[in-house]
Amino acid sequence: MSGGKSSMLRADGVAGLVADWLTSGKRVIAPAVTGAVDAAVAGASGYLAYRPISRPEEIGLKRLLGGDMPRFSAKEFFLPPTEPLLQWRQKKNDVELAEVSAEFESTVLFGVKPCDAAALELLDKVMGWDYRDELWFGRRQAATVVALACPGVDDSCFCTALGMGPDGARGADLLLTPVEGGYLAETLTAKGEALMDSSGKYFTVAESGEAVSQEARGFREKARRRVEKNFHFDQISGWLGGHFSDAFWDRLALRCHGCGACAAVCPTCHCFDIVDEPDGVDSGTRRRNWDTCQSARFTLHGSGHNPRHSQSARCRQRVLHKFSVFPARFHEILCTGCGRCARCCPAGMDLPDNLRQIEKLAAEGKGL
Amino acid sequence: MVIGYEEGPRGARPVFITDPAQVGRLIFDARCVQNLAAYLSPRRAHLVPLGRRAVVVKGCDARAVAGLIRESQLKREDVCLIGVRCGGVSAHPAPHPEENARSPAGTIADRCAECDCREPKLADHLVGELPLAPPGVKRAQERIAKLSSMSHAERWNFWRNELSRCVRCHACREVCPLCFCERCIADKTQPQWIESSPHARGNLAWQMTRMLHQAGRCAGCGECERACPAQIPFGLIAGKITQMLQERYGYQVSDNPDVPAPIGTYRLDDQQEFIL
Repeated sequence: MSGGKSSMLRADGVAGLVADWLTSGKRVIAPAVTGAVDAAVAGASGYLAYRPISRPEEIGLKRLLGGDMPRFSAKEFFLPPTEPLLQWRQKKNDVELAEVSAEFESTVLFGVKPCDAAALELLDKVMGWDYRDELWFGRRQAATVVALACPGVDDSCFCTALGMGPDGARGADLLLTPVEGGYLAETLTAKGEALMDSSGKYFTVAESGEAVSQEARGFREKARRRVEKNFHFDQISGWLGGHFSDAFWDRLALRCHGCGACAAVCPTCHCFDIVDEPDGVDSGTRRRNWDTCQSARFTLHGSGHNPRHSQSARCRQRVLHKFSVFPARFHEILCTGCGRCARCCPAGMDLPDNLRQIEKLAAEGKGL
Repeated sequence: MVIGYEEGPRGARPVFITDPAQVGRLIFDARCVQNLAAYLSPRRAHLVPLGRRAVVVKGCDARAVAGLIRESQLKREDVCLIGVRCGGVSAHPAPHPEENARSPAGTIADRCAECDCREPKLADHLVGELPLAPPGVKRAQERIAKLSSMSHAERWNFWRNELSRCVRCHACREVCPLCFCERCIADKTQPQWIESSPHARGNLAWQMTRMLHQAGRCAGCGECERACPAQIPFGLIAGKITQMLQERYGYQVSDNPDVPAPIGTYRLDDQQEFIL
């Protein structure tokens, strides 16, 4: 899988390793149970989400290995839901601007799902395209991504259809695969190697190297079989190119409420809004906030005209951007098959199911 | 067009049937959590050309329909209501029917556990058998009581933590049948009343405004809480406001559109000690 180093991280070494990172001043982000301060009052036991941890025990490893999935992707640590871009203060005849720093603290993202790690690389393309997004790349540079091979989550997964997989190494600096007694650790980048070298005592040479590799292969193959799906994306993309005004989109949009939950949980949706918010009479902050093409306001012009005036047009946009527009520019699909949009949709919209319907129409060579 | 529930890839979901040959797709069981009254809101104008709407409603959903009629957003004669007798919906609907099609009492949503509207009165047709009475456990009430008994500092800490997870996807607003404003106050920019940023200030302003706008209107269907990807327990606020409306005005959200809501009425004996 990689040309990097391969070693063994013992299960009982994880706590020490993470504690060392924390002690050395690194910020550690990992899937951990998140929710109310009082679960009994909230009536909910919490959910798995990537968040900064302060103790190794907070990491939801057991839930991850049991097939659970963080509700939100890891993108929020590179493109936060809201972040300041600059601050202004009005002086008599002048405006004083203070930019935010693009230097970020050294961070390890531990236990990242391969579909979330891969999304970071996809987003690098657009973030470095016509304008190099300093804040995105500042955070990318400061972060080392330790992915954990996924056992497969459920029927909404379709990473394998996108050339990825529950064992995918893309976007990761280091990949862990569960084996008896711990994890097979493989470095994929110089950053991953540096992280491994800096904590060398936790990474040991596997006593029976070949047996461990074989076991890891077994885990990966089993996970792949669990979520195996295939789509003919060439056909889907061809159909999309010729059916901009198809009745399919009207049908698709009927149940959609036009909320942005799908985009919020998506590892690859990256649209943002920029707002100026006053902090006082003569000062304020310019912020960048998550936005979504599913909201009617997203394309509303100052004149009142809205080029995407219907939910049908907005639902179409989300599919087109991921499976047609982005591929045309960057030669890749803007989706990692994580299935979160289908899991979180309050109205039962289901992207893999919709792709299947498009594929069927494409095979029949017709519209709806 | 019949708006009901079908078996979707991940469990029950809304379906829109315009062809009589397709009615076999309709289902109803404890996984049918969605409040389909949302599709009657004037914001769903794109559904109108598909024909007169017939909608499957549970008791709580019928209260939302009544709200739309009461507030002149829908004419009673423009909609056909297919009432379903309901024994409570599942708190955590599983994707597959065999897992909880018949939801045992222990797994029904807290708000359903002491339901008083298992049989919608606002309906043109009534379907199904009247299920067993709900277990009558007061989990929802107990949670509200516990929250109310907290100190101000504890309660502030509780909500600060809850609202810190809001990313302003607005799923809470979009699924709500009573959030029908063509232009939501949260979307206004001149002036901007509510900051759109998902920071503590913006989130508090948004969520408190939304919940206050629901006072005496919220049908208690729990959709905002269910739709929230960050699991924020809006039902606690909605439930508390409902209790206050009951205490202050003796008002219970009704599925009779002719019962006026406190927001639209005035009585000489209204309590007004809170007016300075």
